[in-house]
Amino acid sequence: MIAAPSLINKVVSGITTWARVNSPWIIHFNSGSCNGCDIEILATLTPYYDIERFGVKLKGSPRHADILVCTGPVTRQARDRLLRIYEQMPEPKFVVAVGSCGISGGTFAGCYNVVGHIDEVLPVDAYIPGCPPRPEAIIDGVLKLLTHIKDGTRPELIKPELGAHA
Amino acid sequence: MNTEARLQRAKEILTPFTKEILTPETNRVDVVIDAGDLTKATAAMKAADWGYLSAITGLDLGPEAGNLEALYHFCDAAAVTSLRVRLPRDGQPEIASIADQIPVASFFERELSEMLGVAVVGTPDPTHLFLPDDWPDGVFPNRKEFTIEKAAPVERDIPKVPEQGRVGNKFIVPIGPQHPALKEPGHFEFAVDGEVITGARMRLGYVHRGIEKATEQRNWIQNLYLLERICGICSHTHTSAYAMGAEKLAQVEVPSRALAIRELIAGLERIHSHLLWLGVAAHEAGFDTLFMYSWRDRETVMNLLEEITGNRVNYSISVLGGVKQDIGPGETRSIHKAMDYLEERIRYYLDIVSTDAMFLQRTRGIGTMTRDEAILYGALGPTARASGLERDVRIDSPYGAYHQFPISLITDERGDLEAKFTVRLKELLVTCFAIRTIVDNLPAGELAVRFPRKVPAGETVSRVEAPRGEAFYFIKSNGGENPERIKIRTPSLCNWTSVLNKAVGHQLADMPMLIAGMDPCFSCNDRMVTVRRKDETETMSWAQLRAYGIEKYKMKSEVRTRPALRYPLR
Repeated sequence: MIAAPSLINKVVSGITTWARVNSPWIIHFNSGSCNGCDIEILATLTPYYDIERFGVKLKGSPRHADILVCTGPVTRQARDRLLRIYEQMPEPKFVVAVGSCGISGGTFAGCYNVVGHIDEVLPVDAYIPGCPPRPEAIIDGVLKLLTHIKDGTRPELIKPELGAHA
Repeated sequence: MNTEARLQRAKEILTPFTKEILTPETNRVDVVIDAGDLTKATAAMKAADWGYLSAITGLDLGPEAGNLEALYHFCDAAAVTSLRVRLPRDGQPEIASIADQIPVASFFERELSEMLGVAVVGTPDPTHLFLPDDWPDGVFPNRKEFTIEKAAPVERDIPKVPEQGRVGNKFIVPIGPQHPALKEPGHFEFAVDGEVITGARMRLGYVHRGIEKATEQRNWIQNLYLLERICGICSHTHTSAYAMGAEKLAQVEVPSRALAIRELIAGLERIHSHLLWLGVAAHEAGFDTLFMYSWRDRETVMNLLEEITGNRVNYSISVLGGVKQDIGPGETRSIHKAMDYLEERIRYYLDIVSTDAMFLQRTRGIGTMTRDEAILYGALGPTARASGLERDVRIDSPYGAYHQFPISLITDERGDLEAKFTVRLKELLVTCFAIRTIVDNLPAGELAVRFPRKVPAGETVSRVEAPRGEAFYFIKSNGGENPERIKIRTPSLCNWTSVLNKAVGHQLADMPMLIAGMDPCFSCNDRMVTVRRKDETETMSWAQLRAYGIEKYKMKSEVRTRPALRYPLR
């Protein structure tokens, strides 16, 4: 007897979620950051902090990635590229904004070549504040997102309080 | 020759063109010349071999004065000569290009034309350098009347980034702006013939944020934190250069203890930056073990920086007039312990990069730049020193505590990628030694003195040796709470010319290494570069392709039979 389609779906989705949570592949894009967050993300991937123990792996192609890790305010020239990378990622996809600039524009809010912060361009699932955030904070942020993916709930979208500049 | 003599000589060289001579600082002469004499004056400077062109600053004196000024700064050791060209503000100001004499000037000129609206006649590429493709015509961010509303995007046929494939009869390989190798966005296009590069083009501007304009809207203290965020890797360089300039203008004497602590942090920053670079460069070569090793060891410095300053990146140790944090006995112990470990590791890496046979295949004899080429392309920092060019601001023009705690010059005559590795690693050993000397002989005294809210009117040049080369700051104050103009020229910009010119004739697979060899920093320089392209790439027939393949492998076997490497593979 063939199992009911709903049961198959349930089993398959259980397996895919299990796989997704245990091997989230990330892609990183800098859309105008000062590099500070980028070197901290890279430090998170290297042996001292070693986020790879959670199955997180940095990939070069957006088509292989589950999570887009963005840094920096979005500049006018980088905006279209950021959107294009997001569009190329397969569903389901998640976005993590790292650093103060990505959350609110930070010190660059109001500059003439800055479009704005990341959630003005893309839907963001997790915000990791800091200038730059410590590697521990980045690990914490990514793991919080993974917990929500596991439970099947998207993280609650709490839009950060923005200052007068935003 | 001392600074006085150098400046005297510059005055003599420029006598035929001089309209007026100003001496705004003791180590700088400011020669006012006619716009028509510019090419002759720069040719005279070049013929006399007086220093190198360090930057071009554009100034808008405002509608009342009705003038624009372009300042061509030449640096020779501690001496700086500025050629000041006055241009009318209204109508279409024009100036002649000097890019045919000094290739690196082409970037500065394009920046001048798009930021200030000065048409540079005869510059090789007059297109946008910094600004986005949808920028409106006739709007110039560094003019006084600029407002953000005027810069609203305009609809226009934006030249699309070419996709991979054949354009005309060339085959173009696009890389970036998002790419697996570099962690920052930059777009490269390589025209290839088989695997050999025949042309290179690069588009930056993805990280341009408009910091120079933003400094004019912030006060002196706020700017310290804004400029720190030009680059997260060499943040201390930018705060040092800015603080030095502001302190010179405000005539504030910084305590010697503060200067020594600044040099100490600059040393730690250099270690973190070079180890970071070593890892990334090894990663480009496919040597991921070295990448992971060097990044693990880099954490030693990061922990040290955190212990001293409270932050791992963007440490903000400098304040205007001194530093924030002191070095106590606890920190001294940690620093010595960390240096013990790092010195041992750096010697190990030095051994690896000069003996590992696989690694040497990727570095030895690749991208060789001679000393003359380094001078011609205006290379700076370790890129220049790896070609035997003695160019280091810490030694040529000691600032801060470098009088008291000098640094030894490291150069290498070979000019290839291997030389770039050894120069940087040897530089680290010298830095470790300097750091130990500083913590053992830290001068006693105050950490900071009071800095005024308003800075007296004036202008100054401050130059600092960043991990990548000379960072150049031009600061002008009008006596108010905000600076009138800050011009920043970062080292990566000058080094691009050399890399893209050296790319032609290399294998495509060598490009990531060649680019990594100069330690590019996009967030610092973020500009656009084009190099001459050979357009005659043709479609190859099957027979031609076969003949080409046979010849290539013949060449390869010849390469294989050259003398064996000095050290066997361990």
